[in-house]
Amino acid sequence: MTDSRSDFHEELERLKSDMVRMAAAVTEGVSRVTEALLRQDVAEADQIVAADDELDLLALETEERMIEVIALQAPVASDLRKVLVDLRMVMEVERSGDLVTNIAKAIPRLQGAELSPQLRGLIDQMREEAVKLFRKAIDSYVEGDAGLASTVDEFDDRLDALHVEYLDTLFASFGTSQLTPQQGFQLAVIGRFYERIGDHAVNISERVQYMVTGRLPAHAGAERARARREAQEQAHR
Amino acid sequence: MADERAPAQSGAEGGPEDRHFGHADRREHAAPSISLKADFASNHGTDEATAGAEVVLDVRDVAVYYGDFRAVGGVTLPIRMNEVTAMIGPSGCGKSTMLRAFNRMNDLIVGARIEGLISYHGIDLYAPNVDPVEVRRRIGMVFQKPNPFPKSIYDNIAYGPRIAGRRKGLEEVVERSLRSAALWDEVKDRLKDSALSLSGGQQQRLCIARAIAVEPDVVLMDEPCSSLDPIATNAIEELIRQLREAYTIVIVTHNMQQAARISDRTAFFTTNVNGGKRTGELVEFDFTDKLFTNPGDQRTEDYLTGRFG
Repeated sequence: MTDSRSDFHEELERLKSDMVRMAAAVTEGVSRVTEALLRQDVAEADQIVAADDELDLLALETEERMIEVIALQAPVASDLRKVLVDLRMVMEVERSGDLVTNIAKAIPRLQGAELSPQLRGLIDQMREEAVKLFRKAIDSYVEGDAGLASTVDEFDDRLDALHVEYLDTLFASFGTSQLTPQQGFQLAVIGRFYERIGDHAVNISERVQYMVTGRLPAHAGAERARARREAQEQAHR
Repeated sequence: MADERAPAQSGAEGGPEDRHFGHADRREHAAPSISLKADFASNHGTDEATAGAEVVLDVRDVAVYYGDFRAVGGVTLPIRMNEVTAMIGPSGCGKSTMLRAFNRMNDLIVGARIEGLISYHGIDLYAPNVDPVEVRRRIGMVFQKPNPFPKSIYDNIAYGPRIAGRRKGLEEVVERSLRSAALWDEVKDRLKDSALSLSGGQQQRLCIARAIAVEPDVVLMDEPCSSLDPIATNAIEELIRQLREAYTIVIVTHNMQQAARISDRTAFFTTNVNGGKRTGELVEFDFTDKLFTNPGDQRTEDYLTGRFG
């Protein structure tokens, strides 16, 4: 098989590697920020915040190259789906990087806060699940594996459950712990950041399925609206 | 110069599945033609709900042979009313051969024959008592290189209706056809000028006007923009979009992006190498937006993304 558009396809491969690099920066960031949080390491937190600028720049440059590909190469079929998915993924990865930064920014505000062993354990578990989810989503992207991509949503349920458990544990401790209201609020919000990273991983996996199969993911809300519209049209005939 | 309106030889031999056409200079007295219905809905447009629903040209398992050589085969292709159907594929895939089969232009080639069935509004186009001239009036053709007659603009358009026996109302026919081809405003003050004085893009629109002057319901176009610059190409593409409302259009193009821009459905043909010769076959036929975002066949995918075997 001769590839008569090898320059174009090589650029697509380079974009793919860059996406993987960005995703690795995010999963590494999730682990790093969690350790900094549990150690209350403010210096490390500052570095993580600064590192997000690098990710933002990489995301911007990658997006520019994707736009160029669309303008100059008029991709169609699987090439088109790939570029469209890449564009979405840049967004999802960049937002996930922002969430890591949000966690880092919370660390100085938690100076001196006593975290119970249960809370620490749950934070660490949320980290583990979020990283696992993200890696699975990216693996499915690299391999073009729609089957693997479709499992990410299920695994996200685990992270959602952990998040609920974390909040329950946090609120249960309010009467007895030394946490100030501000610290309690900050910790609650941190839980949400981990949960949101999981959501971005799910979004990525849905887009990967589109890239491979050509079918857009079904959304419950959209399906409901469509069913209502069709019912109305039936009624009018 | 080839004049697609010239009376061709009719007279078929052979069994129902296999239509041979006589040698070019043989003359036969044809049996009375089956009259092709004159009251097609397509010339009056159709409403939203049924646009494109009716099959005008039903192509069933068709192959085209030149003597023993099978140029293209395996073609089942329902061409729907008031749609633009594009045929794309690499050189030698048989798309132009197939297009010519749709209005019996292959009759003019010695040894050309088809297998399978092409029916037009339910009538077998290759049936023994079908008049090929009438076929080519109903199913007109526009070629890659504009080929106006060396006559005035007016006479180019009036020629077909005159041949068909029309004596009155020619001016209206000429104006209507030139308006439909988006050419009237540019030429209305010089209808007596030679058609050859027009630009390439104008000549091609003239050829389109000439084709529709005889009130076809299908217009076949064989790479109509290949010899035109981008501005003229855009004008023709715009025209095709408008013509779709009153006509059914089949266009062969080697420009994938053009097929993507203007067609409702696209047929992709590929080549196979058989004993050192390239033959064509139909691979996939689908709505254009589906074909260009998510083709079903890997061969289509490979062609569209530039990977050739």
